[in-house]
Amino acid sequence: MNSETLNTLNSYSKNKYKYGFVTEIDDEKPRKGLNEDTIKFISQKKNEPQWMLDWRLKAYSKWKKMKEPKWANLSFPEIDYQDIYYYSAPKGFEKKPKDLSEVDPKLIETYNKLGIPLEEQKVLAGVAVDVVFDSVSVATTYKGELEKLGIIFCSIGEAIQKHPDLIKKYLGSVIPPGDHSFSALNSAVFTDGSFVYIPEGVKCPMELSTYFRINAENTGQFERTLIIADKGSYVSYLEGCTAPKRDDNQLHAANVELIALEDAEIKYSTVQNWYPGDEDGKGGIYNFVTKRGLCAGKNSKISWTQVETGSAITWKYPSCILKGDNSIGEFYSVAITNNFQQADTGTKMTHIGKNTKSKIISKGISLGKSQNTYRGEVSFLRKANKARNYTQCDSLLVGNQCGAHTVPYIDSKNNTAVIEHEASTSKINEDQLYYCRQRGLSHEEAVSLIVNGFCKQVLQELPMEFAVEAQKLVSISLEGSVG
Amino acid sequence: MNIQDNYIKNKKNIFFSENKDIQTHREKLINIFDNDRLDKKNNESLKNINLKNFIDFKYKYLISEETSVINNNQENSYSIVSVNGQCSSFKDDKIEITKILDEDYNDFSKNDTIENDDHFVNLNSLFLNSGFKIVIKKNNNIKIKISNIITDDDLTIFQKNNYICEEGSSLNLIEEYENKNNSTSNILNVIKLEKDSQLNHFLIQDNSPNHNLIITSHSSCKKDSTYTQKVYNFSEGYVRNFHYSELLEANSEADLQGIFFLKDNNLSNNKTFVKHLAEDCKSNQVYKGILNDSSKATYFSNTHVDQVAQKTEGYQLSKGILLSDNSSYFSKPELKIYADDVKCSHGSTIGPIDENAIFYLRSRGMSKTAATKILISSFINEELNSIDNEQMSEIIQKKLVRYLSKVK
Repeated sequence: MNSETLNTLNSYSKNKYKYGFVTEIDDEKPRKGLNEDTIKFISQKKNEPQWMLDWRLKAYSKWKKMKEPKWANLSFPEIDYQDIYYYSAPKGFEKKPKDLSEVDPKLIETYNKLGIPLEEQKVLAGVAVDVVFDSVSVATTYKGELEKLGIIFCSIGEAIQKHPDLIKKYLGSVIPPGDHSFSALNSAVFTDGSFVYIPEGVKCPMELSTYFRINAENTGQFERTLIIADKGSYVSYLEGCTAPKRDDNQLHAANVELIALEDAEIKYSTVQNWYPGDEDGKGGIYNFVTKRGLCAGKNSKISWTQVETGSAITWKYPSCILKGDNSIGEFYSVAITNNFQQADTGTKMTHIGKNTKSKIISKGISLGKSQNTYRGEVSFLRKANKARNYTQCDSLLVGNQCGAHTVPYIDSKNNTAVIEHEASTSKINEDQLYYCRQRGLSHEEAVSLIVNGFCKQVLQELPMEFAVEAQKLVSISLEGSVG
Repeated sequence: MNIQDNYIKNKKNIFFSENKDIQTHREKLINIFDNDRLDKKNNESLKNINLKNFIDFKYKYLISEETSVINNNQENSYSIVSVNGQCSSFKDDKIEITKILDEDYNDFSKNDTIENDDHFVNLNSLFLNSGFKIVIKKNNNIKIKISNIITDDDLTIFQKNNYICEEGSSLNLIEEYENKNNSTSNILNVIKLEKDSQLNHFLIQDNSPNHNLIITSHSSCKKDSTYTQKVYNFSEGYVRNFHYSELLEANSEADLQGIFFLKDNNLSNNKTFVKHLAEDCKSNQVYKGILNDSSKATYFSNTHVDQVAQKTEGYQLSKGILLSDNSSYFSKPELKIYADDVKCSHGSTIGPIDENAIFYLRSRGMSKTAATKILISSFINEELNSIDNEQMSEIIQKKLVRYLSKVK
């Protein structure tokens, strides 16, 4: 946050009496900095029971003793945790654009290219929408249908009120609050996120998405998602949206926990396209996300698919703990970095059960002056008999000022397990480019076509409606950097 | 005994302890160890190792009465027996052997390819008590065989050797480490290849269970030079092979290969690091390991391609076979690439012996043990076949047979 904003904000807080909104807004006033009062304030705001507050405070006391993990190949200024708002400002406090004409035209241009409907554009750009718009009613219809099947799909805050048993049992069971400093931070101050519970034997008939949830656009910077798939169930969950989100938050530290019981399957897809900062590397979002899935039961399966094109810094390792026998973990990733973006992303597959299988396909594309790192760990523990892993990570370099790095950690403690890892790094094949150019494509189109082909293995794993937008997104991310 | 006391007490028989520059450098190093900040958890050079055993050691060194022997039995062929890391001086019109000098030490202490937190290299710099320098003169083609002998038990040898291959020269170097006593050797080889030179470096390691061998090498290649290293590790004691290579000028090549055979409770740490700093260079890193019983191994490999190093070709391969339930293998093949016109790849596999292959051989009447042995030999066949020195090849075959005889 720059000093100017700070000054403005300071003057706002100093002059609060002058404007006379003390009585209504006093409690709503977001307080800067992190201390026990902030956490109590959040908990009180969300009307949480005492056990939840205790849980948060315990996580906070752990966080105080921890340091940020430093092993990632990223450089960024130190984060001042006392200079951040931990409860998003209520409406009316923050300046919001009144209509689309006030929004950055570049943003609108991108929306149009992606083919996003006007109403959604408004929400994404943060325009205050008063009219009840379509997706809300859509959401309610879907909600009814899901309820009939016994599926619980609500915000995590609501789940704490209505389903405390499930929350108590599962929250923090995959990502313990003391795992590392970002998970402790999130556990202490999370404000929003989704909760999904699929009952035994139910196959969720549609892709669940944050789109359908009311208030989705207010998802906080400390998001907490918990998905539980009971025995024999199936769910596919889509996170985020393909359009760049107007967002003033600097730091995002989300936690996502997945739990798949016996015979259950969870498919989790993400397309992340937050503000990456401008061409000179100023601004942009720091994205520190912890995602972890637990294949707790036999024959369970968790599949992560991600397309990462945004954020100034991406620190993200969606992982699978393959505890149940015969369980399967999958990870498909495309990470594109441009300008001064830095991405350090990958996965962690921990094979505990017998006959567990995992597959990792990672594609990294670096352009401009960006740094793109794949960092993955595959470990076979003693009892993981007949476990199997296949890893492939390819990197593509466009331009000679960027970097592509591969850092795999491979650990085998079992002599019946088989692990295979391969990686390659190269630039775009000149022959392919020549072929495309010869057939009348511009240089930029040709590169975009080749890159799309390079990523195809991953993009085809995305659910249908996502895949089309993701493909366009890949092309947009390449713009201006080629030729 | 802690590092500082150890150093002060034994200062008189440590090399260059009168040199002021070196003294200041060493004080810095002592500080690294003295601090409680010593980060053992994230230090990959220390994986599976109890550093305490190496820090709190009892320093003991003696110059043996046996003197080293240098034989020039055939033309262009020399055999050297180095005793406790020492070698007497020798000079003819082709090679020159001397003690190492302060300048060699200072020159190396400025090097930044080896990480500051490689504590074994730091220990070597601190307690340096032996070593020699071999210069191969211009346009000569030389063969050297060095046998490293340690005379007493409980010796701590900190040795630094310098090899310099002058322009157009070619060296075939065979080093043997076969020690049966309980000592610790910490050896640092600094290798410089001038323009158009070539070095084929073989290291045969076969020590008894109580001998620790820590061997680190740093090679730097100038224009059109080639460095090839082959490590054969049959040791029953702890061995650490860390090899760093810098490709400084165009068209140079580094080829780092290794095979290790482990059994019982043995541990072996391996690392190769190639830094491409100029264009048109090639590198190759291949490590294969066979792990039996409760043995453990780690292999770190790293290819670093600088922004100017266009047209680089860098390949890495690591393969491990686990023969027993209790063996474990950790591998981290890393690529760090800052140039776009490169061809770099790595591959890594860990697993058991292919069951289908065993089945095939058994269905043809072989016992399971015989089938396993055949498949292990075929696993490393490529590396064994590439040895063009007949004598070497024989030695290694013998050691392989000895290892296989313990395989069930």
